[in-house]
Amino acid sequence: MRAPLSWLREYVTVDATAEEIARRLAVSSLDVERVLAAGVADVDGNLGRFLVGRVLEANTHPNADRLRVCHVDVGEGDARQIVCGAWNFEAGATVAVALPGALLPILDVPLDERALRGQDSRGMILAEDEIGLGDEHAGIMVLADGPEPGTPLADVLPIHDRVLDVTPTVNRVDLLSMVGLAREVAALLDGDFHPPTTDDPAIVDHENVDVAIEDFGGCPRYIGRVFRDVTIGPSPQWLRSRLFLAEMRSISNIVDVTNYVMHVWGSPLHVFDRSRLAGGRIVVRRALPGEELRTLDGTLRSLTTDDLMIADGERSVALAAIMGGEESEVTAETSEVLLEAANFEPLGILRSSERLALRTAGSNRWEKGVDPHLAEPAAVLASRMIVDLAGARMTGHVDVQAGLPERPVVRLRTDRASRLIGLDVAPDEQRSILEGFEFDVSSEWDVTVPTWRARDVTREVDVIEEVARAVLDRVPHTMPLRRHVRGRLSKEQRLRRLVEDVLVGAGLSEAYTWSLAGSDPDPSAIRLPDPMTSDQTILRTTLIPGLVEAVRTGLDAGAVDIALFEIARVYLPSDEQLPDEHWRVAGVVAGGYEAVKGVLEVLYATLQLELRVERGRHSLLHPGKSATTEAGWLGELHPTLLEGVWGAFEIDLATLFGRVPERIVYEDVLTFPAVLQDIAVAVDDDVEVGALVDAAREATGLVLREARVFDLYRGEQVGEGRKSVAIHLVFQSAERTLTDEEAAELRGRIVAALTDRFGAELRA
Amino acid sequence: MDAQALENDALAAVANASSTDDIERVRVEYLGRKSELKLALREVRDRETGMALNALRERLEAAIDGRDAELARAELDRRLTEERVDVTMPGAPVRRGHLHLITQIRREVEDIFLGLGYTVVDGREVETTRYNFDALNFPDGHPSRSPLQTLFLDDDTVLRTETSPSQIRTMEAQEPPVYIVSLGRVYRRDTPDATHTPTFHQVEGLVVDEGITLADLMGTLDYLLKALFGEARRTEFRTHHFPFTEPSIEAHVSCHMCDGSGCPVCRHSGWIEIGGAGMVDPKLFEFVGYDPERYTGFAFGWGLERIAVLRHGIPDLRELWRNDPRLLEQF
Repeated sequence: MRAPLSWLREYVTVDATAEEIARRLAVSSLDVERVLAAGVADVDGNLGRFLVGRVLEANTHPNADRLRVCHVDVGEGDARQIVCGAWNFEAGATVAVALPGALLPILDVPLDERALRGQDSRGMILAEDEIGLGDEHAGIMVLADGPEPGTPLADVLPIHDRVLDVTPTVNRVDLLSMVGLAREVAALLDGDFHPPTTDDPAIVDHENVDVAIEDFGGCPRYIGRVFRDVTIGPSPQWLRSRLFLAEMRSISNIVDVTNYVMHVWGSPLHVFDRSRLAGGRIVVRRALPGEELRTLDGTLRSLTTDDLMIADGERSVALAAIMGGEESEVTAETSEVLLEAANFEPLGILRSSERLALRTAGSNRWEKGVDPHLAEPAAVLASRMIVDLAGARMTGHVDVQAGLPERPVVRLRTDRASRLIGLDVAPDEQRSILEGFEFDVSSEWDVTVPTWRARDVTREVDVIEEVARAVLDRVPHTMPLRRHVRGRLSKEQRLRRLVEDVLVGAGLSEAYTWSLAGSDPDPSAIRLPDPMTSDQTILRTTLIPGLVEAVRTGLDAGAVDIALFEIARVYLPSDEQLPDEHWRVAGVVAGGYEAVKGVLEVLYATLQLELRVERGRHSLLHPGKSATTEAGWLGELHPTLLEGVWGAFEIDLATLFGRVPERIVYEDVLTFPAVLQDIAVAVDDDVEVGALVDAAREATGLVLREARVFDLYRGEQVGEGRKSVAIHLVFQSAERTLTDEEAAELRGRIVAALTDRFGAELRA
Repeated sequence: MDAQALENDALAAVANASSTDDIERVRVEYLGRKSELKLALREVRDRETGMALNALRERLEAAIDGRDAELARAELDRRLTEERVDVTMPGAPVRRGHLHLITQIRREVEDIFLGLGYTVVDGREVETTRYNFDALNFPDGHPSRSPLQTLFLDDDTVLRTETSPSQIRTMEAQEPPVYIVSLGRVYRRDTPDATHTPTFHQVEGLVVDEGITLADLMGTLDYLLKALFGEARRTEFRTHHFPFTEPSIEAHVSCHMCDGSGCPVCRHSGWIEIGGAGMVDPKLFEFVGYDPERYTGFAFGWGLERIAVLRHGIPDLRELWRNDPRLLEQF
């Protein structure tokens, strides 16, 4: 919302600059996006060069058909000659004049005195857009008669202003009004709050106003007022200017009044052309099945029976609280007006406006819960303005209501407030803060909440917040006592960091990819019923497709030797309401099976685990080059997924971490020397080397400290369909030095086992 | 044999040797098996001559060894002087990976709070509306409850919209005192732009204990913000509104780019909005069965991406999810 300070200061007298007001509000009340400067610059006496003038003569320019030569009294004694291109005024008009030297927002240099087509022009008669008070340029501003020539223009129009651009939180709809803001400023900056007091115009030639509320749940209050002899026309310049600064468009005097009063009091209004209401009636009800309404924006809207409507004797004429209907709109021909100052229940309005995707300045307030008591002052101010600005007579009034809600009463413990805030706020100060916000505080500290806060403040803690926000910038910075704290990472959290660090050390970079995928290899993966985009529809059961996409991004960026990993969750379907969420680590690395297995070997070794694999299958992997582990799988990425040769793995972290030993127990590998032996055996090609190593282990036990395949050879010497496997063996005992004979015997056992089980033949 | 002449010749030859090869030749000539001295020693019959010749041999050996070492050192020095590399040439490549910036910030935040004695807890990403909304005091009609803002799996199940459900799960699982942070992914139906992605990360903090105050919250956030953005920063706390905290505040930090004088990063305000916080609403305590008269607490929930892009000047938050190596490798 835009709040021009000149307007705000009409309701609050305070000794504070725009910046001071903005800062105080920002800390204690609402978000202040910025403070804008509007109108003409207030520098170097500039404001003094804008005066009210009276046109004494307006004659056709002798040398230019489209210009006029005017003589304008600006209170200097002699009239000034000013050449003007506008024709919307005559001699006698009160106008706004800029004198030579004036700085105008539309000019880069000061206004100068010069001759136009041979006629001196010593100033400028102003249009509203020339001083930032509107966007009208078809004619100059014709002011209301009254101010004397020579009166500073700034006394009549807000030609220099500061405008607050503010956004209250949803609980503070009371601040979507100039009165609410003024109250806040007065309370926080020790100002004097004086909300508008308006004399309600007298009802003349009294007539009945027929308003029926069929749904008090949706509409607890409806004030209807009737005006006759309404003259629709443009609004006076002061009203146009205020609306412009508040970022609202001037439409006509009657419509402008509703917007203006909404801005003042925060309670939106609506006006109907009463002659278009069947029977002159108003009925507040839900829409009928199949009902439609063409709203003011020209859109034909299909309604549901949940939508609250304003109807006349026959049909709906407005979408309550959101937008009026086209048929009953006030037009230039309207002479009979029904003013609606009502109150609407927020939730239904919110639902209708969401469903219809139609948000208006009015619905934005109603959906937050407007105080029903505001309907009355809003109706009074609007009535006054309609009578004064449109020459109307008020002929009828009705106020239908279901009984308005009580003001909540809350008991406040001031010591509890101080304890929760962490600042000793004296009871007297708490009282004065609350009273500043117009809460009533009894001597027993029963706090009665004002009507415009009744939805938001219902408990002691809510009242404490009122105190807290007023003293927020005085609250000290302390630390909690933390008497019983134990700050450390869990085993899983430590290991996760270790996994990240090992993989980074192994040259993999960490990627972050979306949890929602466009497709997933698991056909039972959970689908969103209403996804945002087609590539984010499924809760993934594997991280690999996201990483493949990330690799593609890298390739497109020209990277080579890409290696990526990610630690994230997968979401596995379950029988419960919520899926099983599992943390996984996955990677995609340039190079084939060997490359990815090397990475996993480093990872496992760091975790003090042995990587044991079995041949396996996975739909994302090359069928001949894939393996499973007890915690996941690895292999060469299926060539259809990504061009080139890539290794991939995905490991479940909980399974992996569950196997990591709590601590490492020392093994004596220092006291007695190890015996190193290499053997080479020929076996059939389809024998897996892992099986040979396992057999060697089984044959010898713990004394075989290490058995590592270090060479593989195929060729004539071993024969067709056979391969030679070279294994490095390390024998070591923790109790004694092994003799040559013992080592030879161990070696013999291994050879025998390999021969026996795999038809191995010893080659060396 | 004229021992004196031999010694003079030998020492002259040693002095003249200009390389270790030369000195080897001198050694062979004067001390080799067929040298005049060795032959003479073999012929020696009397003790006196033997002692004199052996003494001579030792002197010659010492002279040759000494000169040899001298020459070897000179030759080494010469060779090393010649063995120059262009020290500005790059080293042998070692592949280095990179932790994602969000992980780095996650760890930083975790470490800050571990140092303060907090523990780190993990939440769930798919949540019930009961934990994601009801328990957190979201009123009916709150915009977050709408499918326009939240990704629903069914009427009662959502992708969590904030890390706050972990507050409820933590409080249900343990009695006070509670000092935790919880970091992870959250999901909202936000159209991606420079400051939004539909998935992002939050850090949630929750403290529940006897005597916890708004001042404690502000002190903790002040500490966190200075740790993240620099000790020279100033912090400011402004009133706000959230369903699950009362009173609620929003933390702002003085702009680290311009130090508060105004720049595009802080949109010329000098201040950067970081995120929401507040005192835990008593409704949450009622939900989990804590006594709101005995315990008070505070909570906050901030976006990690927001911290990352602000602190490192990244113009578009979506880049953190694109995994372009040129970006990943900067951090």
